[in-house]
Amino acid sequence: MTDVLRIENLGHSYGKFKVIEDISLSISKGEMSALIGPNGAGKTTFYNAISGHFPPTRGKVFLNGENITGFAAHRVVDKGMCRSFQITNIFAALTVLENVISPLIIQQRKHFKIYGNVFKDKQIIERAMLVLEQIGIADRADQVVANLAYGDKRLVEMAIVLARDPSVVLLDEPTAGMNPEETENMIKLIKKLANNSGTTFFITEHDMKVVFSLAEKIYVLHQGHLLAQGSPGEIRSNEHVKEAYLGRKVHA
Amino acid sequence: MMKLLRHKLFGPTVLAVLLFFAPLIISTYSVMILSEILIMGLMAISFNLLLGYTGLLSFGQGAFFGLGAYCAALMLQAGYQNLFLILLVGMLASLLASLVVGFFSVRLDEIFFAMITLGFGMLFFSIAHNWLDVTGGSDGLPVFVLPSLSLLGNEITFYEPTRMYYLVFGIVLLGLVLLWLIVHSPFGLILKAMRENKQRVSFVGGNVRLLRIVAFAISGAFTGLAGVLFCLFNSMATPEFMHWSFSAKPVIMSIIGGTGVFLGPLFGAGIFFVLEQIIIQYTENWMLFLGIVLVPIVLFFPQGVFGTLRNKIFKQGVK
Ligand SMILES: Nc1ncnc2c1ncn2[C@@H]1O[C@H](COP(=O)(O)OP(=O)(O)O)[C@@H](O)[C@H]1O
Ligand SMILES: [Mg+2]
Repeated sequence: MTDVLRIENLGHSYGKFKVIEDISLSISKGEMSALIGPNGAGKTTFYNAISGHFPPTRGKVFLNGENITGFAAHRVVDKGMCRSFQITNIFAALTVLENVISPLIIQQRKHFKIYGNVFKDKQIIERAMLVLEQIGIADRADQVVANLAYGDKRLVEMAIVLARDPSVVLLDEPTAGMNPEETENMIKLIKKLANNSGTTFFITEHDMKVVFSLAEKIYVLHQGHLLAQGSPGEIRSNEHVKEAYLGRKVHA
Repeated sequence: MMKLLRHKLFGPTVLAVLLFFAPLIISTYSVMILSEILIMGLMAISFNLLLGYTGLLSFGQGAFFGLGAYCAALMLQAGYQNLFLILLVGMLASLLASLVVGFFSVRLDEIFFAMITLGFGMLFFSIAHNWLDVTGGSDGLPVFVLPSLSLLGNEITFYEPTRMYYLVFGIVLLGLVLLWLIVHSPFGLILKAMRENKQRVSFVGGNVRLLRIVAFAISGAFTGLAGVLFCLFNSMATPEFMHWSFSAKPVIMSIIGGTGVFLGPLFGAGIFFVLEQIIIQYTENWMLFLGIVLVPIVLFFPQGVFGTLRNKIFKQGVK
């Protein structure tokens, strides 16, 4: 069993409003996967339900074979799954370096250590700088994040997410709000990271160009249900998908 | 030279030296005011561990201050004379009480957190006010015999105001050094991270609730230490320490001085008492004038008087 992430019959309702229903999928190690669907399809809800933002109403979540259904967010992270958010979620008044150090402190169980200077902790600083170099923002390590450009803030969140070297990374619309150049750089970065680390990436997107240039496996979410899954080629030629969602966009 | 001036320990060191020699220059009365400033400064900086560093506005710190004071008064009345034992027990009692209060409070945020801590504070006040047999009710508990310290075979007493000042100075200095270390520790960085974005902290693996409880308990313990000192200084523990209006003092001091700088609340305490001394010469309505002073400070010194001035001088951004 090499599935890093397996979802069984997952469903979520906000009150009586069923947003996603009966979603099952399994992702094997290293397989770059993407969940696509128009705005409002339920992608973020799906991420929230599997990452500990709230427990899913129905269904199960397995991470590396372990049932983590309904775990609180910090426990999901401890088990090896970390995520980004559609709306940039970082520590605005801290420096770039401090943003990356924070997850590392927690990973090394030093977050209750009330003495000592973390900036002299070689192990943590070296790891933090390595991550920043991988992401390409090491030169801005000492800058306060609030003063960075939007694209750089998104990169800081990537660094935060990757710092603990998770086995699964969920990226919720990593290119949201980016200009074409930033989008292209982000795609390149995700590709590079996916090839160079043991981390399995699972992204959501509504931008088709991004998805088809990145993903090996695509899941199509339509009105809360999984409409189709397969390779980019299979998805492109899938009749249901064309009809429900891609049709207009592919030929437009 | 500029480098020395910019060193982050330069200012605090100069301040400590000035405070050490202050009694040689100023009047006995001023020495007593200065003692009070230091004690309330310790309380305000402990409080600011929550507001400035963790992003939690506690409106019930008086409870822990009072608890420390009552512990000291009760122990002294019962004949315990060991100064360090009294300091330790006062701190421990406040630590335990704040663990319990924190356990129920930290799941809430912002105004709701402020309200629940206010509620706990009122609960403590009622107990202190009504439990006559133990607390002496509204009269409070007087202290007749102060603990002394034996140093190099000499017995040092603290009845004389300048000696009391040096006791306060020493303990407050120790407390502030410990708090400074905590603020600059890995835990301290995680506190700031929670202030910025507690959701992000849980999504990198931090148990926000537990972290906040620990922060609340540390703050409570040092607040209790300040309370013990105040009981010694004042020779009295009264329920007034636990009243919500007393809990408002560290809030006001922190906002006046600045929540973004470690020593900001201490300066706030200084400004608070100096203003009080000036204003009460002219009017009994000192609270009215405090309000009048507070408004422009909030409006024109967004990072507190000390914080804003420091940033102007050193052009340092948000920390
Ligand atoms: N907290 C919430 N409470 C109620 N409805 C919500 C909430 N979050 C999202 N929704 C609704 O659920 C649907 C799916 O939203 P979302 O998961 O954000 O979709 P996507 O990420 O695919 O754009 C939308 O109709 C949205 O309005
Ligand atoms: Mg979304």
